[in-house]
Amino acid sequence: MSLAAEAFVSQIAAAEPWPENATLYQPLKEDQILLSDSASSLAVQTFLRMCGLPVQVSCRSNAEYMSPSGKVPFIHVGNQVVSELGPIVQFTKAKGHSLSDGLDDVQRAEMKAYMELVNNMLLTAELYIQWCDDYTATEISRPRYSSPYSWPLSHILAYQKQWEVRRKMNAIGWSGKNLEQVYEDVSQCCQALSQRLGTQPYFFNKQPTELDALVFGHLFTILTTQLTNDELAEKVKSYTNLLSFCHRIEQTYFKEHDRESQSGSSRHSKGSLP
Amino acid sequence: MAEPMELLCWGGDWDLPSVHTDSLIVLRFNADYELTAKQGADTMAYIALLEEKLRPALLHTFWVDAENYANLTRPWFTSHSPFPLNFFVPGRQASLALSRILLTKAESPLLNITEVEGKIYSEAKECLNLLSHRLGNFHFFFGDTPTSLDAFVFGHIAPLIKAPLPSGQLQKHLNQLDNLCQFCNTILKNYFTDASAEKRMDCSPTATHDPVDANLQKLTQLVNKESNLIEKVLARPAHSLLNLISLEITIPWLKMDDNLRSSPQHRPHRHETKPSALASARNSTPS
Repeated sequence: MSLAAEAFVSQIAAAEPWPENATLYQPLKEDQILLSDSASSLAVQTFLRMCGLPVQVSCRSNAEYMSPSGKVPFIHVGNQVVSELGPIVQFTKAKGHSLSDGLDDVQRAEMKAYMELVNNMLLTAELYIQWCDDYTATEISRPRYSSPYSWPLSHILAYQKQWEVRRKMNAIGWSGKNLEQVYEDVSQCCQALSQRLGTQPYFFNKQPTELDALVFGHLFTILTTQLTNDELAEKVKSYTNLLSFCHRIEQTYFKEHDRESQSGSSRHSKGSLP
Repeated sequence: MAEPMELLCWGGDWDLPSVHTDSLIVLRFNADYELTAKQGADTMAYIALLEEKLRPALLHTFWVDAENYANLTRPWFTSHSPFPLNFFVPGRQASLALSRILLTKAESPLLNITEVEGKIYSEAKECLNLLSHRLGNFHFFFGDTPTSLDAFVFGHIAPLIKAPLPSGQLQKHLNQLDNLCQFCNTILKNYFTDASAEKRMDCSPTATHDPVDANLQKLTQLVNKESNLIEKVLARPAHSLLNLISLEITIPWLKMDDNLRSSPQHRPHRHETKPSALASARNSTPS
């Protein structure tokens, strides 16, 4: 949205406190949601939990179309709808809740840089693996994406989405990569994150920030989702401090909420196929 | 962790065996030899930040903004491309830039470039501010020696500073950030203007003036080894200077060095890569 509209929205946002009935919308968890959307959604949920803001998760098959930007997840708070982690962080900040207030300018620059790294590398790699790898696309992504719809709509929507993603990959130059290189990129990204994290509990020492939420969302989803092969999860697993980071956040923020729903999401494998 | 330790030991050996594929690429560079693992990670992160936030705005400023394109970019490229490429290469670059911006930044309902403009410029300004904060009062991003991050940042902001853009809101913003301008000028002064006098006569990549060329070589080699960066390098104006593979292109660029303040510092590699003009157009696609 334009800058004026953004300023207007954040003014409105600042006027009201966080309501009890805030809702987060995502595609259907069991059948429809894909790896990248699931990661983004988990990142937002983690962020809101870290802020201590209650939100209900609602699964809709048309969540993507409901969203103002076309991307999931989005939250419906009061009479406003905000999608994607970046705008949601700003929105919550306008409401007075922020995780990164304690950071100085240099640290904030670093945090943003690392968030871009995750978005650039991990998210793009997830999209690539889902849609540009023919085997995964045929076995997993297309059937799942179009599962709520009947033929021929399912056929059309699945291929349309695949075409869109491939076009985007083309524009940023990832279409020339093969799967091995993508796994390599993921590995490097994880190494960068691992080195930045070191032995600290969170990326900026004692307090979690949106970067922690984002990294957790992606890594946890990668670790707990079954694809056609386990190579992606293996890449992440080789970094022990990232593994313990994920465990720690899961314990801290998700354990009081029913663990079954979390372990349920790990049981639900998109790859009921090997 | 074991891995960073091994990498630091092997830092001197540029041709790391490919078995060690999980090393950060930047740590292969001699210039980055002294970087700690954390700084290498920071480099990757900042590069991603630049790519995501600054590059669309740069592309827009040079290729999509109508005034700039018509008055500056296209004439420069057409005059520097041989016939018949000058007819279609600039146009192709422009359309690639436009499609890249729209696909990555525009949300699907807004396929109109004007709505995206505000967003990408504000993100770019924020990115420049962040870089400025990170640089602080230092000469380079990681202390006193240049690294690949410095080369990358330089490659992005140098054309923005030097090019005489008719409508350059981003340029104005950048000019207000003194430390970035200083940074750019330092690098230009230390690594490029001194080499120009030699390079005019000398076509070989290894010229004889030791300190400057050692540094120039260091910088060029560091970009050389980075295969990821190289693809981007071929499409980035100042980075092309650092590309040893096509070093002869630096000669026309450096000849322009006299008019450094007045002429746009644009992609001279068009001269050299004309047999593979399509390849370079393809190359700019990966970027």
